[in-house]
Amino acid sequence: MKAIYKRELQAFFKSPVAYCVVAFFTALLGLNFWYMNLYNGSIEFSNTLAVMTSYLTYFAPFITMRLFADEKKNGTEVLLRTSPISMWQVVLGKYFAAATVFLLMNAVTVVCPVIMALFMNEGGVFPLSMTVGSYIGFILLGLAYLAVGTFASSVTESQTVAALVGVVLLLAITFLETIGYQIQGWIGQALIWVSLSSRYNDFASGLFSITSAIYYISFTVVVLLITIINIERKRWN
Amino acid sequence: MIQIKNLTKNYGKIRALKDVSFDVKRGDVLGFLGPNGAGKSTAMNIITGYLAPTDGKVLIDGEDITENPKLAKSKIGYLPELPPLYGDMTVKEYLNFICDIKNVEGKKRKNMLDDIMYLVKIGDKRDRLVRNLSKGYRQRVGFAQALVGDPPLLILDEPTVGLDPKQVVEFRKIITALGRNHTIILSTHILQEVTAVCNSVVIINNGKLAASGSVADFSSDDGLNRLVVTLDCGRDAGQDALAKVSGVKNCTFSRIEKNCSVFNIISDKNVDVRRQVFRACAENDLPIVEMRPVGKTLEEFFVDVISKDDAGEGGEE
Repeated sequence: MKAIYKRELQAFFKSPVAYCVVAFFTALLGLNFWYMNLYNGSIEFSNTLAVMTSYLTYFAPFITMRLFADEKKNGTEVLLRTSPISMWQVVLGKYFAAATVFLLMNAVTVVCPVIMALFMNEGGVFPLSMTVGSYIGFILLGLAYLAVGTFASSVTESQTVAALVGVVLLLAITFLETIGYQIQGWIGQALIWVSLSSRYNDFASGLFSITSAIYYISFTVVVLLITIINIERKRWN
Repeated sequence: MIQIKNLTKNYGKIRALKDVSFDVKRGDVLGFLGPNGAGKSTAMNIITGYLAPTDGKVLIDGEDITENPKLAKSKIGYLPELPPLYGDMTVKEYLNFICDIKNVEGKKRKNMLDDIMYLVKIGDKRDRLVRNLSKGYRQRVGFAQALVGDPPLLILDEPTVGLDPKQVVEFRKIITALGRNHTIILSTHILQEVTAVCNSVVIINNGKLAASGSVADFSSDDGLNRLVVTLDCGRDAGQDALAKVSGVKNCTFSRIEKNCSVFNIISDKNVDVRRQVFRACAENDLPIVEMRPVGKTLEEFFVDVISKDDAGEGGEE
């Protein structure tokens, strides 16, 4: 798993993709930070992160699109499948590499709350626990999105298609919430319960929700399992 | 070393392999032959663990490839038709990555990689990016990849396709050298290659085993029952003289080549008529430009097996 992780992380930074994604993401976040926090004078960074979640739908598949699609296209999938290494090690190695890029992306953005903490009005109190809580929520949501992107990459050999499938899947999952509110009764409730975005509301308002956190982690694990099964399935077809 | 038992593979309704069984003994260099679409690649993919069989078993050194894949795969070095390379890595980085996924320990690694790079002659390219290498060098890096971890079994899928003639000769030399202490399965379309480096042959046709045996079995023939003789004379003069030679059953004119006539002579098996032909030609003052016996080559044998097999198939349906 370490070997795959190392190689994948190197590949990220040998291509311009990682740099572009990080740069574009931080630029967008900076813009929102300026507008929502600096211009409007709000100390709540959780709102800014909440706005960023909708952009994450597009960023996550961009990070993960090459993971498996590229292997298939280059014919290196054969190497991974015929080496004495398990498919779960391959999937996890690749997923963790994508997760590392995502965490780096977030690490850069920490500069925003730090600026607020340093330059706020005298006598103000910086909501540290709230900010940390919403960051954890944001990262867990992002990790769940990355898992969906990883799955999308395992269904095709074209990076572009992988990115599109990822975005469509994530949008579909997001729309579950909207649909859920339209449908009355338990089906609607169930859709809202399943939706990833509905569970972000607590984080957005600055509350750390342990059930949502657990749900995000379970969601990630299940989607990665499906990815492993999807890849292994081809061996038997 | 390898036991393949009743291997069957279905792709949906299409049956790619039907009940194929054969063994490969330790130290064998096996030529794996068959026309395009015969099921060669499917069989190779199953042996290497890339695909799972619908039915049947593959044992690598006693380990089942589907039940104990890690152990079985660690005994195989596989060079697929398209070498599995990462263009964004240098040769050294790539081979180190292969060491990582094949669990080669750090201490042994440097010596092993130096040896392999020396053997396939890529030492001077170690710091080049794989994507910038020529086709021949990529093939060598792919070959180096198969050798990492010193697996006792090497599976090479058309390793010389796309190489220039000099590289082909070098590659065959390397394969022959490796054959001394490895078991090798070599899939190829080039039958001279099989005659040059292999000691046994398996022929697959329509997903079934069509023939198997040693190369000697397949190309053995005393070679003396057929002769090709080229004489510096006209068609009729040559024909007359050769037909009268004792022992010659049949003499046919084949063609005119550079003002000489080429004849095919068939004699009884185990009767060598070459001396008589020489004397007859000398008496009639017909200079012999060339005389060579033609045996049944592996090529002819291959065509025979495939066409007989296809005919049998047609009869069944």
